[in-house]
Amino acid sequence: MANTIQNRYSDLDLTFTRKPVSGDIALSTNDQAVIRSVRNLILTNHYERPFHPEIGSNISKMLFEPISPLTANYLQREIEDTINNFEPRVKLQQVVVQVAPDQNYYSAIISFFINNQVQPITMNLTLQRLR
Amino acid sequence: MAANNNIQISDLDFDSIKNNLKTFLRGQNTFKDYDFEGSGLSVLLDVLAYNTHYNAYYLNMVGNEMFLDTAALRSSVVSHAKLLNYTPTSAIAPVSTINLTVTGVTSPSLTLPKFTSFKSEAVDGVNYTFVTNDIKTVSVVAGTATFPNVSIYQGQPVSLSYTVDTSTNLSQTFSLPDVQIDTTTIIVQVQQSITNGTLSTYTLADNVLQLNDTSQVFFLQEGSLGLYEIYFGDGILGQSLIDGNIVNVSYLVTSGTASTGANNFVLLDSIGGTGIVNSLTSASMGGDQESISSIKYQAPKSYAAQGRAVTFEDYITAIQQNKLNFGIDSVSVWGGEDNVPPIYGQVFISIKPAGQYALTDNQKNQLIVDVIKPLSVITVQPTILDPDYTYVKLNVSVVYDQKKTTLTSSQISDSITTALQSYSASQLNTFNSTFSLGDVYSVIQQVNPSIISSSCKVQVQKKIYPTLDVSKQYILNYGVPLNRGVYSSGVNSTPTIQYYKNDIVVTLLNDVYIEEIPFPSSGVQSVSILNPGFNYSSIPVITITGDGTGATAVATVVNGQVTSITVTNPGINYTQAFLTITNASGDTTGSSCSAYLTLQGQYGSLRSYYYDGNNIKTVLNPNIGVIDYYNGIVTLNNFNPTNVNNSLGQLTITANPESTIISSSRNRIVTIDPYDPTSITVSVTAK
Repeated sequence: MANTIQNRYSDLDLTFTRKPVSGDIALSTNDQAVIRSVRNLILTNHYERPFHPEIGSNISKMLFEPISPLTANYLQREIEDTINNFEPRVKLQQVVVQVAPDQNYYSAIISFFINNQVQPITMNLTLQRLR
Repeated sequence: MAANNNIQISDLDFDSIKNNLKTFLRGQNTFKDYDFEGSGLSVLLDVLAYNTHYNAYYLNMVGNEMFLDTAALRSSVVSHAKLLNYTPTSAIAPVSTINLTVTGVTSPSLTLPKFTSFKSEAVDGVNYTFVTNDIKTVSVVAGTATFPNVSIYQGQPVSLSYTVDTSTNLSQTFSLPDVQIDTTTIIVQVQQSITNGTLSTYTLADNVLQLNDTSQVFFLQEGSLGLYEIYFGDGILGQSLIDGNIVNVSYLVTSGTASTGANNFVLLDSIGGTGIVNSLTSASMGGDQESISSIKYQAPKSYAAQGRAVTFEDYITAIQQNKLNFGIDSVSVWGGEDNVPPIYGQVFISIKPAGQYALTDNQKNQLIVDVIKPLSVITVQPTILDPDYTYVKLNVSVVYDQKKTTLTSSQISDSITTALQSYSASQLNTFNSTFSLGDVYSVIQQVNPSIISSSCKVQVQKKIYPTLDVSKQYILNYGVPLNRGVYSSGVNSTPTIQYYKNDIVVTLLNDVYIEEIPFPSSGVQSVSILNPGFNYSSIPVITITGDGTGATAVATVVNGQVTSITVTNPGINYTQAFLTITNASGDTTGSSCSAYLTLQGQYGSLRSYYYDGNNIKTVLNPNIGVIDYYNGIVTLNNFNPTNVNNSLGQLTITANPESTIISSSRNRIVTIDPYDPTSITVSVTAK
């Protein structure tokens, strides 16, 4: 397959959708691939990956702690550590975790630079326990 | 996708497999994020690597279990052993012998039924049940029935019944639901049917060559989970069962070695009178179910022996797998040609039975007749020798730093004693084991980190039970060269013995001691002839020269040859000496005689003494025995004590070994006596 434009990053899209024309499996590329990767890392629990318990974060467990600014602070630290440890493609700018006690969720705003890109990327994550 | 020639397939662990997949992916451009842990591709690689690792591990385990050497599961090992026609040994019920006296019996005779129960005293807090294994009937005399020498076995009797039904159990294999079965106690009886009570007893088949379609035999095998299974013939090799037959099985379920030493039994069952039990021997000769490592060791040897006893290993295997209920700790076998002097045509066997020192004469005879003779080469005569124990006595001194431990000095002393006893139990106490002082030091050092330094004095002991009031020679072979001692610290005996003065039954001396008298070591001991020479017409002159003085010797000539040279004066102060043989004047024909000297030092002697009424040490017999230092042999000649002053009648002769590495060979066992509280003495000093 001849690619006219070379992608810097290209990854398997875990939604496993098909390209409408060729029927090939869809790719997520460049910024999209990195954002997905960051998201995957944050939502992976420790001991979820075989033989590598250290990969991932402890976030889903923290969501069952009493909802408070203190827990929000822990969540922020956890997100920072996870990205710094396992995603070498990004330079983390800031992580802000806001508490919404009445709605029973946290809202995380993560902003970072992808290496060798000037445009910062901001992603919003809503962290809410499901059961 | 570009070709990738670097793909590796030999790795088996998860990380290496995943790395190989990444290497493979480097050859393409479509998916580039394989190296980042958060990527979707990484999740896919995890799945692939995990699956590959899983299969590799599974195949590895399957491969392991396919061979006897590497199999880890008992069922696999047993299955491989089955191909070698080897049935693992079951637990063996310890046996004790008792005399049972029943009083107040009104009938003219009394029967002791099979499985009559007795309760033992507690061993490690547990009372064990022992049962008889056959029926005995005796006549009653004056209301008392006496059953002498009854063997009772530790275990609970179990009886089971199966009805043969080929429609539900095609293979007709009956599993016995207890692991700790003593398979030698299995009795199988087959009843014709529920309406026909005719019983036939089936025996365990051990040789298929003698079977035919009417042989009433059963086969025994170990199934999964360590449970034993019995099955019957197919109508060609052994009589087959038919639907409706009822198989009755009874056996003992034993606790194995846990009940070794049980004694002082009480009759539990009512048998028609008051039972009084007199224990003759405590429970011994028990065994546990054969371990996996033992099966791996024994099965190929059993196969190699092919049911014959030819090589050393054949004998050892045959004896260890005996069907006589003898639990055996260790076996040593050697050919008579290795003896000094050689005894051809004999095989010597020494056996250390479990839980006791030696087999009884009756047990030895049973082993020879029932186990060894049917397998051995016809002209070879087996002889069973008792193990010859050399006991090591340890006198340990230890300095410890009391700031480095919370233990008291007596606790340290106790733990050192315990550690040395377990060293003895695990490393010594078998044939062909070696005691080494270095091992003792390392055992002591590992007891506690607070121990700074230790020293240990090693002595060797022989324990004999002298025949009282009979003059006999006792040869005690320590198996290690002995040090020359001095009075009081050389070879000595404990406890004291009673002895008639001058062997005349008039004056009995109550406390007689034995001590060593070393011979002077500076003279000439003897002269040995190397070549007797020829044509001596008169006795040649023997001259001894060297750095000492005074040694003389004379030769004896018979038919022109020098037959011996006798030392007439050993002389003194020799560290080296030379012998010159000169023809007597006028003897021109005699020639070629040569001989060599041995300096004194090989022998010492033993004397006995006592303290008379005035407490004066008086020698009773100046030469009661000889010590051969080089060969480590102490001989007591014409030894005739009237009593040994302890309850066992056991006399201990202690000597000092020249080397602190003491090996055993043939029928010798080196051990630290676990029953002697003085065998390990520990003195602990705090720094």
